[in-house]
Formats: sequence, structure tokens, C-alpha cells
Amino acid sequence: MREAKHEYRGTIHQRQRELMLRWYERLDQSAETGEPAAVSLMISGNCVELLEAFGATPLYPEVNALQLAIRHQSLEPILAAEELGYAADNCAYVKADIGCYLKGITPTGGKLPKPALVLCNFVGCNTYIKWFEHTAALTGSQLYVIDVPFCREARPGAADVAYVVRQLHEVVAILEGVTGRKFDLERFRQAVRCAARVEDLWSEIKHLARRSPSPVDAYFDAITLMGPLYVYRGSPEGVAFFELALEELSAKAERGQGVYDQEKFRLVMEGPPPYPYFRTFRDMFAKWKATAVASTYSTVGGLWEFGFRHDPEEPFESVARHMLEQNVCNRNYLQRYEQLRRYVEEWNADGVIIHFVKSCRLFSAGQGDMRDYFTRTLGVPTLYIESDLEDPRYFAEAQTRTRIDAFFEALEHAKRTGGGRYAVSLSTESACRTPQLKVIP
Amino acid sequence: MKIAAGVDVGSTQTKAVIMRGNGGRPEIVARALVDTGANVRKAAENGFAACCRNAGMAPGGVGLVVGTGYGRYNVTFGQAQMTEITCHARGAQFVFPGTRTVIDMGGQDSKAISVGRSGEVLDFVMNDKCAAGTGRFLANAADVMGIGQDEIGPLSLEATRPVKITTVCTVFVESDILSYLAQGKKPEDILGGVHLAIARRTLSLARRVPIEAEITMTGGVARNIGMVTALREVLGMDIQISPDAHFMGAIGAALFALEKLDESFESGVWRPEHASGSGD
Repeated sequence: MREAKHEYRGTIHQRQRELMLRWYERLDQSAETGEPAAVSLMISGNCVELLEAFGATPLYPEVNALQLAIRHQSLEPILAAEELGYAADNCAYVKADIGCYLKGITPTGGKLPKPALVLCNFVGCNTYIKWFEHTAALTGSQLYVIDVPFCREARPGAADVAYVVRQLHEVVAILEGVTGRKFDLERFRQAVRCAARVEDLWSEIKHLARRSPSPVDAYFDAITLMGPLYVYRGSPEGVAFFELALEELSAKAERGQGVYDQEKFRLVMEGPPPYPYFRTFRDMFAKWKATAVASTYSTVGGLWEFGFRHDPEEPFESVARHMLEQNVCNRNYLQRYEQLRRYVEEWNADGVIIHFVKSCRLFSAGQGDMRDYFTRTLGVPTLYIESDLEDPRYFAEAQTRTRIDAFFEALEHAKRTGGGRYAVSLSTESACRTPQLKVIP
Repeated sequence: MKIAAGVDVGSTQTKAVIMRGNGGRPEIVARALVDTGANVRKAAENGFAACCRNAGMAPGGVGLVVGTGYGRYNVTFGQAQMTEITCHARGAQFVFPGTRTVIDMGGQDSKAISVGRSGEVLDFVMNDKCAAGTGRFLANAADVMGIGQDEIGPLSLEATRPVKITTVCTVFVESDILSYLAQGKKPEDILGGVHLAIARRTLSLARRVPIEAEITMTGGVARNIGMVTALREVLGMDIQISPDAHFMGAIGAALFALEKLDESFESGVWRPEHASGSGD
């Protein structure tokens, strides 16, 4: 892979690599010996703290899939799944993962363990439920689907929380059975305590991006940090990693060092990146010295920059709340609009980039309206591009480059002249109004 | 007097324009059109060389060259590159100063561009990674019917009962057309249906940027009178067409090149460092 000229490489990148390799070693060990127990888990609002209480290790098929894609190895398992009958427009993450089981492929060349439990912790996407059902069928592992109600209102009700907590207790009983370990509430509290500390640190890192220049790219760099965030959040290793990350990035901020020698544009990114062309895609923004100061993708596993923390005093309830309301996938669209709007305003961004994922209807449906809302109602320059997060066949480099270059050509003109639609102020009340749902007769 | 050029390397054809500026409104000195073919770099060179010949000047007489279009980075003799989106907007506003919307239909993509008063891009949308609604769709339809590309537009105007084309897929449209031919439908009615199908698809694209008068159509498909007529019909608005519609991207690029040559120009639209960005 080609290194981007402007990319920051610090101690945290090395440490991240070590941590993630160790995680893969644990999965290899699990494949060989059954220890530690591996539990298949979704990233969206993951409950890794509960696994930590049992000494189990999460097995994130999404992380496996993206690691394969970034290494240009995703097409082979995708084609294997399509040969089995998966449709061309099925979620490419699903096909890559199923193909991995069929072909015995892993990103590191190791083995995929047989999960002690296939725990479907996100049901907002119907495809995900089917995915985990298939994984359980392929591996012969036990399946448990946590029914997490979609966030219909601003906050989930007490009944929603109680409903999820009740199911978490059932998961505890299953984990006791598959791991042979008795549940230790204190160990669970400790994992939740670690998570809360990691969330403090991660949130501070996210807020460093409000500075100008931002010392961190909250999309491309954030993706580096998201691995440890989801795998190690409930452990002291996670705390140590994020303490190091905050220290390193804060020092950068104090020196006034940005992602580039000169920060020319500040962006908010919506949607996951095209992992098969990750470097190419990043370079398209690096060319214009455009830093992502915030992103919704970095909140798929949890949304902490607006204040939510896990609570060791209420470990089950806070895990349930996190699963219900504090991750971008389980929130409704207007909440996502509001999240993006706050990023644009509070992180002082010049524009929004929406990356539509061809094979993910859940994340991408409605992004055309989102573009209209930001462009027309708020006057925020917004670029809409399409490809896929996993399937390399959907990426058209020349088209993507033209759109991105044209966006920056227009943005540069608008910034320099202060004219045109792009100059609409975000601070006016009318411009900040969040759209209301309309009932179409 | 300043002389500058724009070279628009498109997927199908390469367009080059040389312009002259002497303080007033710039003038077009010469144009050239060559097929892009497989060697994109060579097409850029050939297009520029042909344009210089048409202008009766040596390439050294051109002060600055801006490349645009998909092959813009292959204009290696040029000093800068800009996207065809920015260049079409600028070119259209130069030819028709009241332009607020540009509909650009080229060989492999179509775009709707919302344009500001000084020719700046306010917003744009492009077709998906699919040739529906592009010149390629029309070329395929012409091929399957055995009619020349230059003839399909005028012939479509003779349609009395345009057929319904149910697909907008460039590949599947062939089977639709063959099916209608087998049913004995008249070629003009089939072509009328084909042009209307593309016009409707383009309309849905254009509605995603505000469609404001005046509308200017650019790109190679603007030479197809059947397409222009169908678009006017579905839009319910007038569409301006210049004889230079095909060259609009190259004109825009040449204007940016002239502005850079003009020391007093300070709009800041263009920066030479963009010519060789780190990502390329």
C-alpha cells in the first residue's frame, strides 16, 4: 500500500497495531484451544464490557471484513458467498464474512475460531439478523439475538431499558454456560469503569478536533483508534492506550500541529469509507489538505462526545442505554441530522461529505434527503459520493475524484469570495432548524 | 494580448479551444475536436496540436494551458487541471451570462450544475456509476437500430406515438428496442421513446439541484436535436444551446487559463498548486 504524504504516524499507530495483532493472536488461540471463548458481536452499540466480565474475547465480523478489504482481499470471499447464492446487492460485509467461513480466510492468515456464542446485539438491520443466523448455522454455534428497540424518540423509555436489561441477564446465563465461569458482578463493574474512562479519553480526543488546526483527522485517524475502542474498551489495556493517544495528540495540538502543514478545509464525514480503496480515498482529501474534524462513522460503536458514559453504579442499565441510544445506527434519522449539524457548527466545518454505501440500505437510505437538508436548508456545502465499504467493484476512481475535486474547487471559490449559497450563516435560528417528519397523505 | 488554451479530454472525444484576451471580452480563436481513443495522453496532445494548427500558431505561442475532463491529468503539457464541472459552469456562463443551471450530457456521464452569477459552481449532481442518461445510451440505441448517431435525433422528432421504454439500463435497452422492432413499431416511434426515457431520467437528476432559468445545455449530446427537444418537453422550460455546446468545458478551461495569465485577475478561483496535488 502507498503511504499518503501527509499522514501522521505516531507511537499510537504502532501501539494500535500491536494491540490488534494481539487480539488476532487471542482469536487464533481460541480457534486452537477454545480459550479464551470468542463471542461474535456486532460493532453497533456493542456490549464488550459484558464479555470482558467473563474473560471472553469479542469476534467482530465487521472488523474482519474491513481488514480484508483494506488489504485488497475482500473480493474472493464476496465471490464465494455469491456462488452460494447471496445476491449482488446483499450487504458486502455479510458476504465477505460468510465467504471467510467458507474459504477459511482471515486478514492475518490465522484461523477463525468457532464462536462460543453468536450474539446478535443489533437488530436495526434485518440483514444483520440473517447474517448472524447464517454464522450460527455455518459454525454450529449457539445463537442469541438481543432485541434492541430502535430509538423512536429522543430518549428510550424505562420499559425499553428494562426490556434490554432483562435480555442481558439471559445472555449472562448463557455466557456462564459456554465459558464455564460464574458471573462476577464486580468484574463487570470494573469493565464498565474502564469503559467509562476510555470514553472520557476518546471524547477528549474527539474534542481536540475542534481546534484549528485539528491535530487529528476524526475520520481517517479515528478509524485507526476504533479497533482498540471496540476490542479493549472494557480493559486496563484500553485505558492505557487511550491515555497514550490523548497525550500524544494533545501534545500535537499544543504545538499547533495539524494533520497537514496547513489545514485548508475542515469537513464532517457521513458514512463509512470505501475500505478497498482506503488509501486512494484518503489521498483524494489529503491533496486538498482537508481534515475531517468529525464523522458519524466513528460513532457506530458508541456516541460519547456529547456526554454519555457507561456507569459502574448501574452497569446493566448503562450498557442497555448505550445499546439503545448511544450509537449512530440505532438512532433515528433526525437524530443523525442533528448530530451532523452540531458537528458542522461546533467543530466549525466548511462542508459535509456523504459517502453512500451501495450494499448498505440501513446506513445509506435517506442520504439524498440528508444532502438536500444540508445544502438547501442549512446552506452547508455537501458532497454526495457513492461506492461501497467492502466490495471493490463499486468504486469508480475517476468519477469519485472528479466529484471531490469539483467540490473543493467550488468550496475554495466560496471561501475566498464569501458569496453564493455556501455563505448562508449557520448561526441564524432559521438555518439551524432541524426538519420535522411530515406525514404524507 | 494574451493567448491561452483549454483542453477537455472526455471519455469519447477530446476538445481543445484557444482563446485570446486583451482586456475586454475574451474571444475564441480556434477549436479542435479529436476522438480520445485508447491513448488518452496522445489524444490530449493531438487535440491541442490540431487547435494550434487551426489557430495558425505554434504551441509556444499559447501562454498557458488548463486541462479538464476525465483525462485532465493526461494533459501533461498543461500547467493546471480543473474538473469539467467547474469548467462547464464557467464556459456556459461566458456564452450565456444569464445561465443558472447547466445540464451537461457527455459520453459517459451527465451532470446538473447550479451556477452562480460569476459562473461559480453552487451545487452539482452527477449520474450514478451507470451509463443511463448519457451519450453512450443513445449510441447503443443507434447501433442496435443500425442508424447513424447523427440521424437518431432528427428521426426521433418524427415520432407520432413514442413507445414506452421501460428500462434505463444501457444494456437492457437493446432487448427493449429489438422487441419493439419485432412488433413492427416504427423506428421514429422507438427513438422518440428512447429520447423521452433519457430526458425523464435527466430531469430527475436535475431536480436534485434547484432548476432555475436560464438553463444551458452543454456536452456532446447537446448536438442531438431530439434530446434537446425531449428535455425541453419534460422540463417545460426553454433550454439554451450554443453551437459551441460541445466545447463548453474547453472554453471554461481556456477562460481560467486566461484569467491566470491576466496579472490583475484576483478572483482566486484557480491556484497553480492544484496542478500537481499530492494525490495524483
